[in-house]
Amino acid sequence: MEGLYKFYELSGFANATPGHIVMILVGIFFIFLAIRYEYEPLLLVPIGFGVIIGNIPFTEGAGLNIGIYEEGSVLNYIYQGVLKGVYPPLIFLGIGAMTDFSTLISSPRLMLLGAAAQVGIFLTFLGAIALGFNASEAGAIGIIGGADGPTAIFISSRLANGLNDTRNLIGPIAIAAYSYMALVPVIQPPIMRLLTGYKERRIKMKPPRTVSKTEKMIFPILGMLLTGFLAPSALPLLGMLFFGNLLKESLVTNRLADTARNSMINIVTILLGVTVGASTQASVFLTPQSILIFVLGALSFVIATAGGVLFAKFMNLFLKEGNKINPLIGAAGVSAVPDSARVVQHEGLKYDPTNHLLMHAMAPNVSGVIGSAVAAGILLSFLN
Amino acid sequence: MKFDITAIGIEHIYMTLIGYTIVFLALVALYLIFDNLPKVLLIINGLLEKKTEEPKQHAVSSKHNLSGAVNAAIATALHLYFDELHDEEITKLTINKVSRNYSPWSSKIYSVMQSHLQPQTNKVIKK
Repeated sequence: MEGLYKFYELSGFANATPGHIVMILVGIFFIFLAIRYEYEPLLLVPIGFGVIIGNIPFTEGAGLNIGIYEEGSVLNYIYQGVLKGVYPPLIFLGIGAMTDFSTLISSPRLMLLGAAAQVGIFLTFLGAIALGFNASEAGAIGIIGGADGPTAIFISSRLANGLNDTRNLIGPIAIAAYSYMALVPVIQPPIMRLLTGYKERRIKMKPPRTVSKTEKMIFPILGMLLTGFLAPSALPLLGMLFFGNLLKESLVTNRLADTARNSMINIVTILLGVTVGASTQASVFLTPQSILIFVLGALSFVIATAGGVLFAKFMNLFLKEGNKINPLIGAAGVSAVPDSARVVQHEGLKYDPTNHLLMHAMAPNVSGVIGSAVAAGILLSFLN
Repeated sequence: MKFDITAIGIEHIYMTLIGYTIVFLALVALYLIFDNLPKVLLIINGLLEKKTEEPKQHAVSSKHNLSGAVNAAIATALHLYFDELHDEEITKLTINKVSRNYSPWSSKIYSVMQSHLQPQTNKVIKK
C-alpha cells in the first residue's frame, strides 16, 4: 500500500497545479490552431507539443532527471542548442539556402522598407525599459518586433538567459515571437488598411527585371562583407544566412544547399520547436513578466508593420508617377518570411484582382531578415 | 509594474538612435551597391568584350541577339525531335516454351487437361 502511495506521489496527478493545466491547454490550443487553421503548422505543432511535454507535472529534484531545467536530463541536453544559441544560425543557413534574393537585387530601393520596419525593435526597447525591465532584457524583448523567431531566440539566449542580473526570458520571448509570426494574417491587415487609402492599395508596380547569375552570386559575398563589417556581433546569423545563399546560387554545391534547406532545417526546427515549447514550464512561464512580454511583443509587431507601410508612403512623395511603390508591401518589411509577403499579396488582390504584389513584397521581406539580424547584432554589441 | 518614462535614460535614447541609424546605413549601403552593380558589370563586360578577338566577338554577339521567333523555332524543333524518339525495343519475335512445373495442388487438373488435349496419347496408354 505504501508503495502504491509513493507511486501516486511521483505521478503527474499528485503534482498537478492549475498552472500546469493552463499551459497544457495552451499547448493543445497551439496544435489546434496549426491543424485547424494551418497557422504556421511547422512551428506550432512542435512548440505546442513541447508545451505539453514541458508541463507534465512531476516531482522536481527527486533525482529523476526529466525536466528541461534539470541538469543531466535528455531534454536539458537538447535545450543546450537554444541556450548556447546553436540552433538559430543553423536555421539561418537553411533560410539562406532556400531564399531567392532576385527580387531584392532587381529593386534594391525596396531594401529601405526592410530597414524602416525595424523601428518596432528600437521603440519597444524603450518601452520595455519604461516598464521596469533592465536594458539587456529590454533589448531581447524588443527583437520580437523583428518577427523573426530564430533571431529572437538567439538574442534572448545572450541577453536574457538568467545570468548577469537578468531573468530567464527565453521561453516567453520565443513563444511570443513565434505566436506573432503565426498570427501575421490576423495582426497585419487591419494596420495596413488603417494606414493606406483605396487608391494607394491599387497601385501597380513595374515587374522586376531579370537578375543575372553573376549578380546573384555577388550578393551573398558583398552582403556578408558589408553587414559583417558594420555589425560583427550578428556574424553567426548573417554569416550563415549569406553562406546558405551562396551554396544555393553558386550552382556547384547543390547537394549542400539541398541538405541545408531540407533535411537540416527540418531537423533543427523539430529540436528548436520542441525544446522552446518544453521550456515554458508553468513555474517559469506563468509570471507577470510573461504577460508584459506578450503585450510588448504585440506592440512591437504593430509598430514595425506601421513603420514599413508609412515609409513606403514617404518614399512615394519623391517618386514619379508610374514608378511609385504600393505601400501595402511596406508591411512585409517585418521579415516573417514568407507569411507577411503572402498577406500583402492577399490584401492587394482584394482591391484589384489583377494586382499581384507577391514578388514585390518578397524584397522588403528578405531585407527585413537582414535588417533584423543587423539590429540584433547592434543590440548585442551595446548590451552584452 | 508601472510605466515609468523617467526610467529611460539618455544612454538608452542614444542607443536607439545609433542602432536604428546603423540598420538604415547597412541597408542603404546595400541599396547603393546593388543599384549600381548592373552598370559596373556592364562596364566590365564591355571591357572584356573589347579585348576578345573579332570572330569570337561576332559569335558572342550573335548568341545574345537571338530573337524570340528563332528561340521558339529552336524550342519547337527540339521538342519535335525528342518527341519522336522512342525506346529501343527487341524486334525478334519468338515463341517461348511454357513449362508447367509439377505442383501437388494442381496435378489432378493438370493431368485432366493433358488427357483432354491429347486423347490419342491416352489411348496408347490404355493398351
